[in-house]
Amino acid sequence: MNVAVFVKASLDPNMLRVDSSGKILVEDIPLAISEYDRNAVEEAIRIKEKHGGKVVAFSVLTWGPLQKRVREAEQVLREALAMGADEAYLLVDEALIPGNPYTTAEALAAMVRKVGQFDLYLTGEGSMDTLSFQVAARLGEALGIPAVSYARAIEVADGKARVTRDLEEHLETVEVSLPAVISVTGEINKPRLPTLLQIRRAFAKPLNKLSLADVGYTPPSGVVEIRDLKLLAVSRKNIMVEGSSLEEIASKLVDLLVKEGIVK
Amino acid sequence: MKVLLVAEKPGLLPELAGFLKDLGSKLGGVEAIAFTAAPSLDEAKKFTTYGFAKSYVAVAEQAFPDQLAKAVVEIIDKEGPDLVVGVATKMGNEVVARIAGAKGMPMFTEIVDVEAGDGAVLFHRAVLGGRAISVLKPALPAAATIPARKYEAPQPGEPGEVVEVKLPPSALSLVKVEKKEKGGINIEEAEIVVGVGRGFRKKEDLAMAEELANLLGGAVGCSRPIAADYHWLPEDAWIGISGKKIRPKLYIAIGISGAPQHMSAVMDAKVIVAVNKDKNAPVFQYTDYGVVADLYQFLPVFIQKLKEKLGG
Ligand SMILES: Cc1cc2nc3c(=O)[nH]c(=O)nc-3n(C[C@H](O)[C@H](O)[C@H](O)COP(=O)(O)OP(=O)(O)OC[C@H]3O[C@@H](n4cnc5c(N)ncnc54)[C@H](O)[C@@H]3O)c2cc1C
Repeated sequence: MNVAVFVKASLDPNMLRVDSSGKILVEDIPLAISEYDRNAVEEAIRIKEKHGGKVVAFSVLTWGPLQKRVREAEQVLREALAMGADEAYLLVDEALIPGNPYTTAEALAAMVRKVGQFDLYLTGEGSMDTLSFQVAARLGEALGIPAVSYARAIEVADGKARVTRDLEEHLETVEVSLPAVISVTGEINKPRLPTLLQIRRAFAKPLNKLSLADVGYTPPSGVVEIRDLKLLAVSRKNIMVEGSSLEEIASKLVDLLVKEGIVK
Repeated sequence: MKVLLVAEKPGLLPELAGFLKDLGSKLGGVEAIAFTAAPSLDEAKKFTTYGFAKSYVAVAEQAFPDQLAKAVVEIIDKEGPDLVVGVATKMGNEVVARIAGAKGMPMFTEIVDVEAGDGAVLFHRAVLGGRAISVLKPALPAAATIPARKYEAPQPGEPGEVVEVKLPPSALSLVKVEKKEKGGINIEEAEIVVGVGRGFRKKEDLAMAEELANLLGGAVGCSRPIAADYHWLPEDAWIGISGKKIRPKLYIAIGISGAPQHMSAVMDAKVIVAVNKDKNAPVFQYTDYGVVADLYQFLPVFIQKLKEKLGG
């Protein structure tokens, strides 16, 4: 059972940086492995542990500046390797920055076509920076295989996957023939934390860098133009309610809520 | 501009028509065609009365995203729309993403606003955990989904032309469907919401939050892990970008760290209070009144003081 897993080096929404006008300073926000892609890596490793085979991680760099970001994207892939992936591929090309789900999915598909065939392709349901929820569905189209989104359980047997899709009103279990693309939710598993030894060993695993020329894909230009990226302003009182005892703090808070007209 | 509306069920056509009206008022000269799937043509016809030039209907009891997408791709090949628009349900996002993938179009998931002028459109999206808005200009043709339940239905008019289409087979087969439990709480309507997070150690301890909510005449909501991981509360209590957006008079976040994906959905609250034992918790950036304390020690005292106030 060979599993490809797609991980994004996402802007970390917990580490936002802005200028005085509220404009997001993209270049100053660190990249981190997108939260649900970590679940996808975990699921891939669990499937490997049960069924044998290998896990290969793929990533396309979608944020610049390239020089600075390559190291961060490698770090994200190293994390997947430390968790238990066997090999990783990173596609870096100016023409894919800033990324959008269309060119990113096409580039990922070109990468796997170059590297080999897999039984299963896993990724997170959406990335934590742009939340587009598109890549799994697009990969299904690009690779010409079935795609199933929002998995909170996957069972693999006899060339098939049984997948429980987490939809708004119900859990829907479906069966699909492999190969297939599956996107996972954050609830599917609890990702393991690699040990120090595993982190060190990850540096000995192959991490290959590719360019668009290597994978034979030319993205269309100007598909999406980012006109603006602005932080939503928060204006709160930011008062810390303090006192020498919990009783005092609680009384002060009650009084404040009375003053606000909420407690009557 | 020609717009194809994609509704995985006919009940979504009215809100798509609402979006179309908004787009038309900004852009002028919008022509619309619609696609939906329904158990019968008659069922679909109840919802095709919003001035669509043509409505394509796939008759099916149940359909998977791949089938719907394939059917829509055929319609696109015939009609050549500039814009394909669905509703940002999980199903709708998946269907439209497949269509966009098959047709090589950019797609904009859950657009919160549209700007239009000179025949060009700009889409606004919430990104970075809901904390930021990006303004994006697509090359047309493009696809998008609109937030569910955002747009009001316009006045219905004459039923337009309805064309039945066949659904191709799906690569998926259905094994079973389990309905999710509903709590019957409506935190979107509540004036006061007490939000609980992973600072609570076990389900029984939520009784303190419930007591507080009862005292204040409010409802209990929660962060994603409380509903989705632990199932301590039903999913309709889940607050955040992937749950409910709320705008109460008062939101009290208790044992919630203040992740952007949670806090961006409570920013319209009039007053925000947080109780967290970690003075550096990000939640305090979003609060009017912050209390640094162990919730297990603070809540009983706070409830007592409130009772005194309300009783007296
Ligand atoms: C794409 C995406 C979508 C997401 N959507 C949502 C969403 O819709 N809603 C949502 O909520 N999250 C969402 N999340 C998850 C989010 O990032 C956080 O992981 C989550 O909100 C954390 O929940 P929490 O605050 O309850 O838990 P934690 O982050 O673990 O915080 C617990 C807090 O409790 C405090 N605490 C612990 N013990 C005590 C005590 N005894 N007394 C007082 N305080 C205590 C701690 O100091 C800590 O701050 C999403 C994430 C992603 C990537």
